[in-house]
Order: sequence, then structure tokens, then C-alpha cells
Amino acid sequence: MAASDTAIIQMHHVDKHYGQLHVLQDINLDVHKGEVVVLIGPSGSGKSTLCRTINRLETIDSGEILFEGKPLPQEGKELAAYRAEIGMVFQSFNLFAHKSILDNVTLGPREVLKTPKDVAEKEAMELLERVGVAEQAHKVPAQLSGGQQQRVAIARSLAMHPKAMLFDEPTSALDPEMINEVLEVMVELAREGMTMVVVTHEMNFARRVSNRVVFMADGQIMEEASPDEFFDHPKTDRAKDFLDSIRGH
Amino acid sequence: MSAQTTSMRDALYEAPGPKTKRRTAIGTVVSLVLLGVAIFFIIRQFYITDQLNERYWSFLLEWTTWRFLLEGLWGTVRVAAVSGVISMALGLLLMLGRISNSKVLSAICRVLTDLFRSLPSLLLIYFFFLVIPKYGLRMPPFWMLTIPISLAASGVLAEVFRAGVNAVPKGQVEAAMSIGLTHGKIVWKIVLPQALRIVIPSLVSQLVVVVKDTTVAYVVSFPDLMQNARVLISNYDALVSMYFVVAIIYILINYAINHLSIYLAHRSGNKIISRETENPL
Repeated sequence: MAASDTAIIQMHHVDKHYGQLHVLQDINLDVHKGEVVVLIGPSGSGKSTLCRTINRLETIDSGEILFEGKPLPQEGKELAAYRAEIGMVFQSFNLFAHKSILDNVTLGPREVLKTPKDVAEKEAMELLERVGVAEQAHKVPAQLSGGQQQRVAIARSLAMHPKAMLFDEPTSALDPEMINEVLEVMVELAREGMTMVVVTHEMNFARRVSNRVVFMADGQIMEEASPDEFFDHPKTDRAKDFLDSIRGH
Repeated sequence: MSAQTTSMRDALYEAPGPKTKRRTAIGTVVSLVLLGVAIFFIIRQFYITDQLNERYWSFLLEWTTWRFLLEGLWGTVRVAAVSGVISMALGLLLMLGRISNSKVLSAICRVLTDLFRSLPSLLLIYFFFLVIPKYGLRMPPFWMLTIPISLAASGVLAEVFRAGVNAVPKGQVEAAMSIGLTHGKIVWKIVLPQALRIVIPSLVSQLVVVVKDTTVAYVVSFPDLMQNARVLISNYDALVSMYFVVAIIYILINYAINHLSIYLAHRSGNKIISRETENPL
């Protein structure tokens, strides 16, 4: 849990437009090693886009993003090598539909890290064991439940030994009863000191696990605070409204 | 997610109620009667015009007739198989060129694709048969037939492959990027394998078109099934009976190809490809 002082991800004055829409406005954000940063906000606030700019699935118009003090590579082999160091978990799992669960997890290590097949498979089985889907190793993704698929997706990212992990609404596509099995894996990761940026609507997770909550609205970071401070004493009206609306009733 | 494959009928119509069931039953009876009447008139017409006379059919009992037809069939199969392979390879190359980052390569491939797709294969055959030899390039009839058929099919196949690539969910590529795969590996290991599975039915339809295209072989005097049938027709003066038999052979070939497609689609697990909805932001 102990977040060190080195900022592993730094975003300075990041701007992005989709046509007329200013989706990211002057974003400044540091994520420290071992820190769990949760991005929350209403839909359309730009939190997913922000998350995706960190491994350049979205490009930015201006500003800069640094990883371990170096600007993100723009293209080619360097970019691919950089992405290999950052895990990414998607809302819709995106497991490779034509490959078995085991092959989903071993593909990255074998193709990118050049890990020998037997080593990669042994490690993959350990990871699948850890996320609780080892028995499914030889099935294809469509045969698994959403919760299982998402846990495989986490294992697939972990197989690359990432220095940080991005979670883009990892539980939003799941049936309610499957959300916890995925969150538990994430809590476990956070305990082990993984650097995590998590876009989520799971307020309990945010409160329990994160070191810092970043609240976004209309493409801007409105507020940044410790979870207790944010949930108990939100400063901006936007944040108050948002918290009221999700607590509701 | 692992949705059962629903038939077209299930997708378009709801389960029939009592009225619909009655109407369907009446429709079935009426169409059966109409079909029976049609068959009766066809056979009657054959009879009246003496097409059922033994002399038009007896040559079909001779081994030499069938040997000649089988030789033709072998020609058809050779042209269709070689054209099928060439057109798939060429179609794949055209598609890869077209989706490449290079603007020039992409434009060239687009023009070639559209050209091959819009030219009738007969015109292409005339080009290889009549024009090219004038400039000193002589080739055997087999190639004068196979190359134009391949070119015509490659244009269509390039578009089929492109549709397949476009049908692969974007999330598959993003996931591949995020584990650090390079562009080439993403194309070959993630996108193409899935795209090919998606387009298997269209590939097979195109193979059927190729088989039918081979029937213009007479233009270059290549002995395919159709050409040999024409020879038999003039020998025995048996137009209707011969074309009847040849039609059945073509139907059987294409029936077999279509069943191959169903088998392939099942085997390659077409069903495993489930599409999740994508919504970034």
C-alpha cells in the first residue's frame, strides 16, 4: 500500500478534442509507484479517455505524458515495447475470441517477451490458479462467464509482469453477482503493491482500496483527494451532486 | 454470449399462432399442387417433342461417353481448384495492401480490386486469349482460362476479406496492442485468423462462382465439362438430355462445396466468436 515518492506516470497539461468536443482539458496528474488511483465521474466526463491515453490507445493533442520520467513513444516497436510494460483491463474483457484461455495468457509472454512455451504455460497456469479459473484453461472465452473472462483478462495482463495496470471500467459489463469476484482479484493486486489506475463506478472499492480519488467532469479534473476526504467532504458542487445522485434514495 | 445459432426464420418471424398455422398449411397444399402440375406439363412437353425417345438417352449408357465427361470434369476441377487458390492468395494480398498505411499502395490495390471486380470474367478471358498473344506472350489454354478467372475472383475476395477484417471487434486489436504485440503480429495472429472464420461462408460462395466461371472454357477451347458436353451434343444430336445430365453434375459439385462450408464453419468454431459491444468514454 505504501506509495513511494517517485511518480511513475506523469501527465502535464494534457488536452484532447473529439471534433468540437473538448474531452480532456488541461489534465495534470501524477501517479506514484504502488499507488491506487481511482477515476470517477459522470459518464462522458473523460475518465475512460484519460485512462486510455496512458498507454496511447488514445492520442493527445497537446501536453505530455511521461512514464518513469520518459515521454511515451509515438509509434512502432518502441510503443509496442512500452505497452507491454503497462497492463490494461477493458470493460468488455476483449479476450482473443479464437484462442483458448491458456493461449490468451501465454500469447504476450511468448510473442513479446520470448518466453519458452513450457515456462510461459507454467506461469500462465499459476496466474489462472491465482484468479481462480485454472480449470477453464482449455476452454475458449465464449464458454466462460463474464466474471471469469474478466479474471482471465487480468491474468493475461499480469503475465507480462507490468509495471502499472490500467482498469477501464472493469466491472461495468458484468452481472451484479460477478462483480465481487473481479473486485477481489483487484483488491489482492492493490495489496501486493501494484500501481493501478482504475476507472470505476464501484464506490465501495474506491473508498476501501484507493489511495487517491480523482473526480472528473466535462473533461476536467475537478477534485483530487484521499477517499475518506472525498466521500465525506467533497469540495465542489459537481462532486456533491454526483455523490448525491449515486447515493440517491 | 455463447448464443445459440438462430436460424434465419427464427430471426425474422415470431412463432406461428393458430391462424398462421392454418394459412401455412393451405399455402403448402396449393404450392404442392402447382408444382405437380408444372412437372406434369414439362414431362408432357418432352413427350410431345419426342425428347424422351431412346436415341437421345442411350449414349449415356456407354462408358466412352462418361469417360469423356469425366475428362471434362477433371479439367473443370483443375481450373476451379487452381483459380480458387490463386484468387484467395491474390485477394488476401490486395486486401492487405489496401488496408496498409502506405497511401500509394492502398490506392493501387483499391484500383486493382475495383477493376477486377467490375470486369466480366469473359472480357478478361478475351484479353488473355486475343490481346496478350498479339504481343508475343503465348500461354497454354489452361492458363488463358485460369488467370482471368482468378483475377476476377480475387477482386471480389479482396472485398470479402476486407469485410471480415472490419467485422473483427476493435477491442481485439486494442487488447493485442496493450500486451505489446507489434502491428504485423496483430494482423497475422489476431485479426486475420478471426476475419477468415467470419468470411468462410462468403469464400465458399465465391468458389461456387469460380466453378461456374469455368464454363466459358470453350472460348479458349479448353476441355472442361461444359466444352466436352458440347462435343457430345454435336456428336449425338442430344441437346436436352446432355444439358440435363451436365446440370445435375454442376448441381452436385456445388452442393458438395456448400456442405463443405457448413462443415468448415462448424469445425473452425464459428460460434466462438462473440461480439461484445464497444463503448469507450
